[in-house]
Amino acid sequence: MSRATIAPDRRAEVAVDRGPGPRRRTRLPGDGLAGYLFLSPWIIGIVLLTLGPMATSLYLSFTDYDLFNTPTWIGLENYQRMFTDARWLRSVQVTAIYVALAVPIKLVAALAVAMLLNSKRAGQGFYRAAFYGPSLIGGSVGVAIVWKMMFSDDSVVDQLLLRFGIDTGGWAGNPDFSLMMLVLLATWQLGAPMVIFLAGLKQVPRELYEAAEVDGAGRARRFWSITLPMISPVLFFNLLLETINAFQVFTSAYVVGGPNGQPAGSTLFYTIYLFDRGFGDYRMGYASAMAWMLLLGVGLVTVFLFRTARGWVFYSGDSGDKR
Amino acid sequence: MGALKRFRVLATSLVALLAVACGSGGGGGDETQAGPATLRFSWWGNAERAELMQKAIDLFQSKNPDIKVTPSFQEFEAYWQKMATETAGGNAPDVLQMDFAYIREYADRNALYDLKKQEGKNLELGDLLTGLKGAGEIDGKLYGVPTGGNTWGYIYSPALFAQAGVEEPKEGWTWDDYRAAVKAIAEKTGVSGGGNYVGSYYNLELQLRQEGKLLYTEDGELGFDKARLKEFMQEGKDLADAKTVLPIEKGVQIKPAHALEQNLVAGDLGWDNFMARYAKGNPGLKLGPVPTDESGTSGQYLKPSMLLSVSQKSEHPAAAAKLVSFMVNDPEVGKIFGANRGLPPTNAQRAAAQLEGPLAAVAAYEDELKDEFGKTPPAPPKGAGTLEQAFIRITEELQYGRISVDEAVEQFFTEAEETLGS
Repeated sequence: MSRATIAPDRRAEVAVDRGPGPRRRTRLPGDGLAGYLFLSPWIIGIVLLTLGPMATSLYLSFTDYDLFNTPTWIGLENYQRMFTDARWLRSVQVTAIYVALAVPIKLVAALAVAMLLNSKRAGQGFYRAAFYGPSLIGGSVGVAIVWKMMFSDDSVVDQLLLRFGIDTGGWAGNPDFSLMMLVLLATWQLGAPMVIFLAGLKQVPRELYEAAEVDGAGRARRFWSITLPMISPVLFFNLLLETINAFQVFTSAYVVGGPNGQPAGSTLFYTIYLFDRGFGDYRMGYASAMAWMLLLGVGLVTVFLFRTARGWVFYSGDSGDKR
Repeated sequence: MGALKRFRVLATSLVALLAVACGSGGGGGDETQAGPATLRFSWWGNAERAELMQKAIDLFQSKNPDIKVTPSFQEFEAYWQKMATETAGGNAPDVLQMDFAYIREYADRNALYDLKKQEGKNLELGDLLTGLKGAGEIDGKLYGVPTGGNTWGYIYSPALFAQAGVEEPKEGWTWDDYRAAVKAIAEKTGVSGGGNYVGSYYNLELQLRQEGKLLYTEDGELGFDKARLKEFMQEGKDLADAKTVLPIEKGVQIKPAHALEQNLVAGDLGWDNFMARYAKGNPGLKLGPVPTDESGTSGQYLKPSMLLSVSQKSEHPAAAAKLVSFMVNDPEVGKIFGANRGLPPTNAQRAAAQLEGPLAAVAAYEDELKDEFGKTPPAPPKGAGTLEQAFIRITEELQYGRISVDEAVEQFFTEAEETLGS
């Protein structure tokens, strides 16, 4: 069916639907329709590809579903079972530690790099591209493989550490270090928050620094009293985004640790366990319930961050900024 | 609407909906009559196998011009993820490569076609090797035909044995001999004597079979108790503690490579056809007998390395059966694949396959054992794949020293109860 044939049909329906009654609010009949028509690919998309699957997975989270047979309703059992499931608890723990480490380290690094790249110097464009590059290829499987190799026994990192007398026996095979290896991988991909920081830094009025300098404020003082408060909305935005992303880390972890979170379950992230339950063990009901718990968890953390934000995020308007 | 009640990954949901919407046609007529058809054929493997597969398919199409075959492939793990989703969506391929660990899972869920209906018409099975006959049979129905077979063996480096002054393994050596050899080699050469065998489910199976037991009983229950598993795990733990076997950190890091490829161990127990792969990095390798404490039985059997199945939903079961039959019987196909899918499954293909070097050694090894092979065990129960993963995971934690032997045993049995019970 072509679009041309749909339009008149729909128009007729709309006219009928109105029925009798007050017609004060009427606009031109074709107006809204054309709008919805143009939106229709998006609307169809969100209903079929987002809302539909979401509703389905919510339903499935209350069932026992093995992908082959019809789901059977089991109520809250999936949710209850999680709290006695040792692997689920481990995945929550691993993910929490990862978020707590990766997010701050990445943000500090991104801000530091952004500040370095904010000043005018030769080859600035090259450096910006060089630091942004990794985040473009960051999600790829290849990078994770290279990363794992770099951190293996007798590889680059191990050799380097050995020179300083530190023998870890390779991070990739050592459960005490493997998570840190992934934190570093995340940090290396600091391009996206860095660019946002850079934009934020550009917005800070030069006059403030000049005034502060005249008053005798040092570098550190200027950073704490001007830069940080001025970019706090950007910092908050990055914090929020990175936190949500960190909760959902998957590709790199899957490549490095596989479905079992090797070595010894030290990289059993929440998403990895979810994936393994769904597609490895064919327990889609349980996996769906896990997905909704993740949504709930991320939601709670986000609300918490918004609460604390009131105390430390300053928006322009009261600072005398023009806009 | 039933189809909507199922969860799907975003991308597949639309495809599946379409499939449900247009899928109800077809059927009818005599299902042993092969007419013009387009078959979808899915398998796991790599680029190398893809090339061979395409050659075989081209040959099939030239001999059956009215049947068109469109192949698709993934790596093993991704393959099963995709297969589960496709099957659930009613969109399974006509012909699919099947693993022994999953065949009952799919058969029990009504996803596979009973090939008995095509036997003697479009499917010839008479030439299958003795050990492989009936390998895909479950409850009297035929759900898969093996495309290759292999057996558990001991792959080792004679050079390292000589260097340590340890006698090479010979028929009848015991598990104590094995452990003593591993220890002696590690002490004298500095190379680990072997892999830590508790990490492999099939070593447990081998020991059980030597004792006249099975990994899974005919009823799909575990064929061993906690005490037996504890004994097995303790053996492995002692080896790890003595540091005579490959440290687990090393084994995990080099994955997916194997320690034998990189000359990190003197020998290890494993599927015999893997020798060809290891030999690329370590040409001097040899195949030897497996250790056994029970004289007269090695516990070995010919395992179907992979099978070909036809979907229950396929609209062209006759054409699909023809393809399966061709892949298993045609001598040309045997020549094309060599031992890529394990050693060829039929006498004709084995004769045609020109096996060289390590593969010839594997073939000779299997030939020698031919009369000693025990009965192929029944297809493992639903959930066996999951349980094998659990076994790997738990033994790994054991070797890392994160859990005790008792905890490992408990964890495995808890997992088994949950997996096999449901």
